[in-house]
Amino acid sequence: MEEKKLTRGQQEVREKVISLGLCTGCGACINLCPYFRSHRGKTSILFPCTVENGRCFAFCPKIEVDLDNLSLSIFDQPYDGNALGRYRSIFTAKAGEKIKSFEAQAGGTVSSLVYYALTKGYISGAVLTDRRGLEPIPRYVTNAEDVFSCSQSKYTAAPTLAVVNEVVEKGEVNIGVVGTPCQILALAQMKTREKPYPISLSIGLFCTWAIDFRLFEPFISRWIQASHIRKVDIPPPPAEILQIFTSQGEKIEIPLSEIRPLVPKGCAYCMDMTSEFSDISVGVLEGRPDMNTLIVRTERGQKLVDEAIKEGYLIVSDMPKENLEHLLWAAGNKKQRALKRASDENLINCESLSYLRLKGELLNQLTQ
Amino acid sequence: MTTSKLPKDPYSIVITGVGGQGNVMASRVLANMLVKKGYYVTIGETFGASQRGGSVMSHIRVSNLSAWSPQIPAGKAHLVVALEPIEAIRVLARYGNPDIKVLSNLRPIYPAGVIAGEASYPNEQEIRTILEKHTSKYWLIKATEEAVKLGNPILANVMMVGATCAIGDLPFDRNDFIDAMSQVLSGDKMETNIKAFELGFSLLMK
Amino acid sequence: MSHLLDPKAGATYLLMGNEAIVRGALEAGVNVASGYPGTPSSEIIENLSRIAKERNIYVEWSVNEKVALEVAAAASFAGLRSLCAMKQNGVNVASDFLLHLVYSGTRGGIVLVSCDDPGALSSVNEGESRYFARQLEMPLLEPGNFQEAKDMTKWAFELSEQLKQIVMLRSVTRMSHASGNVSYGALPETKRKAEFKFKGFILDPEEGIITSAPVEWRHKEQQDKIRKAKEIFEESPFNTYEGPDKPELLIITSSACYLYSKEAVEVLNVQDRVGILKLGTTWPLPPKLVTHYLARTEQVMIVEEVIPFMEENVKVLAAEKAGEIGAKKFFGKNEGVLPSVGEMNPDFVISAISSILGIDYSPVSKEYDQSAKLSAFVHAPARDQVFCPGCPHRASFFAIRRAIELDGRNGFVCGDIGCYTMAVRPTGFETLKTVHSMGSGMGLASGFGKLGLFGMDQPTFAVCGDSTFYHAVIPALINAVHNKSNVTLVILDNGGTAMTGFQPHPGQDFNVMGESMPAIDMARICEAIGARVEKRNPLDLEDTLHTLLEMMEDKNGVKVLILSQYCALSPQRRGKKDYELSVDETVCLGEECGCGRFCTRIFRCPGLVWNKEKAKAEIDQVICVGCGVCADICPRGAIKRKEVA
Ligand SMILES: Cc1cc2nc3c(=O)[nH]c(=O)nc-3n(C[C@H](O)[C@H](O)[C@H](O)COP(=O)(O)OP(=O)(O)OC[C@H]3O[C@@H](n4cnc5c(N)ncnc54)[C@H](O)[C@@H]3O)c2cc1C
Ligand code: SF4
Ligand code: SF4
Ligand code: SF4
Ligand code: SF4
Repeated sequence: MEEKKLTRGQQEVREKVISLGLCTGCGACINLCPYFRSHRGKTSILFPCTVENGRCFAFCPKIEVDLDNLSLSIFDQPYDGNALGRYRSIFTAKAGEKIKSFEAQAGGTVSSLVYYALTKGYISGAVLTDRRGLEPIPRYVTNAEDVFSCSQSKYTAAPTLAVVNEVVEKGEVNIGVVGTPCQILALAQMKTREKPYPISLSIGLFCTWAIDFRLFEPFISRWIQASHIRKVDIPPPPAEILQIFTSQGEKIEIPLSEIRPLVPKGCAYCMDMTSEFSDISVGVLEGRPDMNTLIVRTERGQKLVDEAIKEGYLIVSDMPKENLEHLLWAAGNKKQRALKRASDENLINCESLSYLRLKGELLNQLTQ
Repeated sequence: MTTSKLPKDPYSIVITGVGGQGNVMASRVLANMLVKKGYYVTIGETFGASQRGGSVMSHIRVSNLSAWSPQIPAGKAHLVVALEPIEAIRVLARYGNPDIKVLSNLRPIYPAGVIAGEASYPNEQEIRTILEKHTSKYWLIKATEEAVKLGNPILANVMMVGATCAIGDLPFDRNDFIDAMSQVLSGDKMETNIKAFELGFSLLMK
Repeated sequence: MSHLLDPKAGATYLLMGNEAIVRGALEAGVNVASGYPGTPSSEIIENLSRIAKERNIYVEWSVNEKVALEVAAAASFAGLRSLCAMKQNGVNVASDFLLHLVYSGTRGGIVLVSCDDPGALSSVNEGESRYFARQLEMPLLEPGNFQEAKDMTKWAFELSEQLKQIVMLRSVTRMSHASGNVSYGALPETKRKAEFKFKGFILDPEEGIITSAPVEWRHKEQQDKIRKAKEIFEESPFNTYEGPDKPELLIITSSACYLYSKEAVEVLNVQDRVGILKLGTTWPLPPKLVTHYLARTEQVMIVEEVIPFMEENVKVLAAEKAGEIGAKKFFGKNEGVLPSVGEMNPDFVISAISSILGIDYSPVSKEYDQSAKLSAFVHAPARDQVFCPGCPHRASFFAIRRAIELDGRNGFVCGDIGCYTMAVRPTGFETLKTVHSMGSGMGLASGFGKLGLFGMDQPTFAVCGDSTFYHAVIPALINAVHNKSNVTLVILDNGGTAMTGFQPHPGQDFNVMGESMPAIDMARICEAIGARVEKRNPLDLEDTLHTLLEMMEDKNGVKVLILSQYCALSPQRRGKKDYELSVDETVCLGEECGCGRFCTRIFRCPGLVWNKEKAKAEIDQVICVGCGVCADICPRGAIKRKEVA
């Protein structure tokens, strides 16, 4: 486990991630130093760095991700390839009655849990993702009421972790983070460094893919001015549409076939749909756009969820079997596709630097 | 101390340093004193780089006979006065010869490549070894440090002129210096400059 | 009183070549002087401006060289004596007017001083101005030492009046910027009155109109003047010969190369084998004189810098006279004996003579030479030219470079001539991707900005200095706006013509003589042309960066960002520290992840040094000018700045 820490630096990230198009702009390498910076959703290297073992490399979720190591350090168990990752329990969920009504993406589970953790002092602040027009803007929220102004999904890939680095640098502790699977993966890498990051709660979102902001903005401008967008949604299959709700109360529907070309290449290599290394993961419940799927993975997550239910901040019920089956199928499907592609392109378990590392037989099994 | 004849005719001096060190001024003062004494003096200067951290070099040719080329032929310099030590080493590569004398300030000004870590800068011992090997005589003085004590690092250039005087090859003295400077300076400035000259002179006498 | 105004004839001073030219002009009673700054010519106008009041001279820095020459020509047309000074490429700028001027002829003595820069010691070209003399058919003089620089300048005015033609006096860096003894002549009282006479017969050179037409008539008159010049040059004291009656080798040379040739002959001790014919009047050649010396030798070497101008002229003459004097063996650039690029020096001449005469020469032993060279190679790392400590350009390019990287569309910057040209180097973060003549960055950008039609989507910038803006950028900017080119112009406004020593330009409210003048506001010019204009302080790094990023997103035609901040060497900032800087060692990350020596490795202000032993950065208090910018680039805030009261 030791030798996997801090092994390389910027040059490798440039060559093996950015140049290969694997970068999703998660922000894990931003605000660590003057070299990486994010602008309009894109991660750039401003100047060459000669540090040999750097955090950019150590944090990036697209280079030398050793799934066994991560799984062991977070769950004390090796990586087993389960489509939904390791978890303790799975429910359907939505905001409890103690939560005032707000515009959530689905059931409002995420915002409710963050709100609860903040008011209870379990975390002293949360890194959330707001937006300006269509541009995702990460924010550090310390006032619980502000959680709701960051609700709803921004379907564009966001440099959320840049703010995590920023506040850690400032000396903040007990930080909560809400992120997509690639971000949660990077967060897990941060947490397993020699000097653990002061992250107390990670809530992962489900994600099949995100959209490149720089492509999305001009694309959407054909329909609507970004400032008039109230909400964006991708209802679960078989809808195959992206919906835009405007502040004037209109609804625009765009076929996903037009959106897919706007997805960053890096998403195609992501084998995680449910943020497998989080404390808690949340997605939409199929067929119930006002409800969430909730996966509890860690003890810490379990404790928070239990308390939130008890105190009326969250309502959960059992997960219907067919929903679970479909979720397993969708997540397994994403995993298989991504691993196959990465493996075909020789990005897994190579002798030199790899994108991923996992047991050989498991890889064979998962890509069958 | 000073002689009125030149040890060689033409006597060729290279004054070298880095842009901004007041190299041009030093060569002017030196040359002006000698012109006043009736010598033909030619100064050749490159000051394209003078403001921008580049190497700056003045060639001074002093003669009883005629004007000489503003560039000294290779291997033909008699004295190098360097405001920065590696500039002395650089000059020796082209203009040096076993009889040459070198007077250099010890204060390094690191080239950009050194600061950036792409090149290395010699330590004092290495500098001494090189000068020992390629000169008939050399002096290293802490002119910038002394100049800072006088209130302005730029005065290192005047100090070098004072030290050059102490070498004794060139026919000028403190009075010639005062005479030449009084045309361009006045009052306290004149005073500090004379102090710098004297200090430079005494640094070499030690 | 300036030493240039000493009225005593016979007084001797150490003068820089450019000062000698000034003294010559004063002795000729010059009335008007104009020019555009450019190394190595600038000291001419500068020195004249300082004594303009005492001598009742009108001196101006004109907006560019063409206008400068027009201003000087006007004085000549009004019967005054005028001088116009510029560097070599300035002559190219002025050449359009010059072509017509040589047809129309002149009245009062007018001298065009061109200071060439062989070896490009402070230029981005080593262009030749001598060819203009031949191409445009005007007399050319080249001083061979400092005394001549003065004497010849004075004579050039007389010659010009005698021929009624402009005379070009060409100097080089090693004349203009070198110094030597100059013995003075008398300073005349000048009492010329300016009047432009045009009511006489239309073709009357003194009182008619002044035009280049009728072309054939004027051109013939012009060529008559050249024929007359030849005759005058035959007798000129500026053409000298030294050496044996029948030299084994005849060197024909001029300008600084004369001093190199002389030195080479001395060093090799071949005074009795080699003769030197030094020409001061290099175009047209005095045919009889040159033939006279050609006839006395079999071997001829022409020593001159860069392109074989004199060599060609001598060879043509030798061919014409071959019947009389026989065929000669030539050594020069075309024969490969001397280089046709770069600066000449005594050593080139020494080795050329040695090889021709079969002399074995080496100034020092091989061992010494190799060992000294090795020491320098190992221990004296080259000094790359860098922006000065506290230079606003470093900050400006830091912002531009980062903006381009953040934008991520492979944007680039077209530059031109000024200190900021160094931004092709690491000191400017290798930001400039094209560098040509004054204003050509904007012209190129205007062109690049139209290539979207062919699929180009790289953001395009041009940069120019404030002085350059007035000199040559305005027409290119008009072109870009009018043709809807999508580009951003960044004007690096540092409050003067910094590179050549802070000559004022039309954007300032004073002129070279210190009189107050109306300033031409560049922002309003740009707005009037139709560009969107923003102004920022480049030392505010983030503000500048965000403005640039935002401008790159703005696709509505031409944007202009004016980054105003005085040059670190300007009179306004020189010697004044705004901040006292220090590095907090306990906070400095040094080479660790999170910094990687960002300040000394990337930002590279010379005021920052790397302490290897401590593995921490430091401020070199002697070099730092206290601009405070580095405090903003340190990722750790380890660089502390304290305001100086
Ligand atoms: C790019 C993206 C793709 C998704 N794809 C799927 C999917 O395929 N299937 C599925 O079931 N669910 C998907 N989701 C999750 C889903 O949209 C909801 O976010 C989730 O169900 C939580 O709903 P909620 O009502 O609890 O959220 P809310 O209470 O509204 O809170 C949403 C939270 O998400 C955070 N957030 C928003 N956008 C981003 C972003 N771009 N990056 C990081 N954090 C962000 C906000 O900070 C906020 O805290 C996706 C989300 C995103 C951002
Ligand atoms: S300083 Fe560290 S995080 Fe930044 S580029 Fe270098 S190695 Fe990567
Ligand atoms: S994937 Fe994330 S950590 Fe890796 S380079 Fe991109 S933004 Fe940086
Ligand atoms: S002073 Fe700042 S920028 Fe320089 S090495 Fe130290 S931490 Fe890095
Ligand atoms: S303050 Fe910093 S950037 Fe400015 S001159 Fe000093 S060292 Fe250089």
